[in-house]
Amino acid sequence: MALKTVTTSAFVAATSLCAASAAADDIKIGFLGGLTGPIAGLAPPILAAAQLALDEVNAAGGVLDGMKLVSVTGDSQCNAQAAVDAATKLVNVEQVAAVFGPMCSGATIAAANSVMVPSGVMTISASATSPELTGLDDNNLVFRTVPSDAYQGVAAANYTFNTMGVKKVAVTYINNDYGVGLAETFKKTFEALGGEVAGYQAHEPKKASYRSEIASLASGGADTLMLFAYENDSGLTIIRESLENGLFEKFIGGDGMKGDVIIKELGAENLGNFTVTAPTSDHDAAAWKTFVAAFEKAGGSADGVFVGQGYDAAMLIALAIEKAGSADRAAVAKAIAEVAGAPGEAVGPGEFAKAKGLIAEGKDIDYTGATGSHDFDEAGDVGGLYAVHTVKDGAFAQVAVID
Amino acid sequence: MDTGLLLYFVSLVAYAGIFSVLALGLNVQWGFTGLFNAGIAGFFAVGAYTSAILTTDPTPARVGGFGLPVPLGWLAAMVTAGLIAWAIGRICLKLRSDYLAIGTIGIAEIIRLVLKNEGWLTNGTRGINGLPRPFDSFSPEVSQIAFMLLVIGVVAVIYIALELQINAPWGRMMRAIREREVAAAAMGKDVAKRRLEAFILGAVIMGLGGAMQAHYTKFIGPESSDPMIATFLVWVMLILGGSGNNRGAILGAVVVWTIWSTTEIFTQRLPTELAVKAAYIRVFLIGLLLQFVLILRPEGILPEPDRKTGKSVLAAGAAPPGDPGKP
Repeated sequence: MALKTVTTSAFVAATSLCAASAAADDIKIGFLGGLTGPIAGLAPPILAAAQLALDEVNAAGGVLDGMKLVSVTGDSQCNAQAAVDAATKLVNVEQVAAVFGPMCSGATIAAANSVMVPSGVMTISASATSPELTGLDDNNLVFRTVPSDAYQGVAAANYTFNTMGVKKVAVTYINNDYGVGLAETFKKTFEALGGEVAGYQAHEPKKASYRSEIASLASGGADTLMLFAYENDSGLTIIRESLENGLFEKFIGGDGMKGDVIIKELGAENLGNFTVTAPTSDHDAAAWKTFVAAFEKAGGSADGVFVGQGYDAAMLIALAIEKAGSADRAAVAKAIAEVAGAPGEAVGPGEFAKAKGLIAEGKDIDYTGATGSHDFDEAGDVGGLYAVHTVKDGAFAQVAVID
Repeated sequence: MDTGLLLYFVSLVAYAGIFSVLALGLNVQWGFTGLFNAGIAGFFAVGAYTSAILTTDPTPARVGGFGLPVPLGWLAAMVTAGLIAWAIGRICLKLRSDYLAIGTIGIAEIIRLVLKNEGWLTNGTRGINGLPRPFDSFSPEVSQIAFMLLVIGVVAVIYIALELQINAPWGRMMRAIREREVAAAAMGKDVAKRRLEAFILGAVIMGLGGAMQAHYTKFIGPESSDPMIATFLVWVMLILGGSGNNRGAILGAVVVWTIWSTTEIFTQRLPTELAVKAAYIRVFLIGLLLQFVLILRPEGILPEPDRKTGKSVLAAGAAPPGDPGKP
């Protein structure tokens, strides 16, 4: 009997402890990230940036009547089964008001299809770039703060053909949704502009050597290689082997190629003809600088991909809750496009208090984030800005911004 | 119980049921026949993609979809997985256990790469979206519960059918082949043919599991047939539950999936930074569990019963199931 009492009281204590950690007037935001799996290296900084947005909101007094935003983090593993399972827990067990993530496109589609859309929960991804998301039947619940790959391919093709004056390229891409999406749109745009794609080949990741692929790409006679791959994987190997064999002179990469590993491994002196395009905000813009300063102060590094987009996504969720006047899922979903787009008074990163004031006065706001204006179109997509970088003094330096 | 928890429970049961189907399929191959199939993900993917192509709406991006009813898709998933298993079995089943494992890993990888690269067939790396889920026309809650009941029904049907088959002369023959292949051959049993039968039967069940999974998540892509989930986890389930025992296979699937899924409820409430680290502990936990089971209870939670006495084979002093090499 005594034992039973002890167990019961221990149970009560444990449950009340759990309850205490998430007080009743907190609003839960679901974070879904590929914590384990193929993008495990990219995920933590993106989540940290999103957490920064929530921390700023809480430091500014929280949303509504001083309610704190609390993140609940699930592991979507970049995989459909895990994403659906993790999303089910966030939506049903934790009863989150909205979801940030998932990160990979396939995981986003699966989780949205089978959990978020049926339950009426808004989800906003900072890194799902597949064009497949555009046509999703989502009841206006799925958004993203990163432009579809369809746009980046177009931007890269325009820059290569018009600005760099390259008329003939060979294209190789990593064989996943990211690489295929970029390469396809690049090829289509580049050919429409009048350029020649003299070599077009997919490659599998993590191979020790790509000599045969490079040789067949070079046989078309192009001296410029367009490379949609990841820096710490095939991208590094392909550039190294091309340089060793003198098969290509110029290299142009997508956002996955913008990593310091390339410079460290190959040496800046060998990368004079290496150009990278990546979705960005204007790095000269005040909004970006504000975000970078805050993120670095919090111990993060703004060099990671999609960190700015992650911050903006989380900030948009907070603003949508404020605008909706409650954590009601349907109201929040409806409010997000209103706070993200015109008309309204412009607010930027780190200005939650100002936005809260404006909303209290009944004014419209238009959030312009660290990574652009985020004016969602009907499909929940954003157009994007792309930065062009070259290697200067041993580091990537931004040379142009294109859209 | 509030609706949210109920819906999570429903989803948990549905997943556990789908993994039970995969574990039952593996049990036919490994538990009863001793065929080391390390390529479950391959049959899983074939089933999932077959049903996806047949049941989705037409799209210019790839072959089909043909908009057929879901039951037809599931049936076709079973048939296709069975046909592929037949072709593979004709070549690979001549290999002895460890070589068969290597062969099946290779074939699963080939299947995955073909599905990933043949864009005209599968939409390549982007995967197939918008698979219809049965009962989708009802409200989300009702549809979830109905799907869970359907999964439970399928598991029950497979379980009963397998029990009947295993207790029939066919099942005794399979066990004889598993324990002493030479002795069974000397008794005049057609060992190659029987092994092929078991391989195909197991693959048919795995194909169905793949199709059920794809319709549950309404999406199938190359990452969905990741060997970590579709092969490794299923092996853990069967070994932990008790290979050679159908109830063990189901129990293993339920226990492992419940641990895998519910542990996240605790880790996800941690601050983001810690939650990221805790995600790896979950993976580690499953590996650790397998180590403990293999060392402390190699026969699994529910060991294979001795069909004559109804007692555990271990109690009778025989060799552990599925270990034909040891005396």
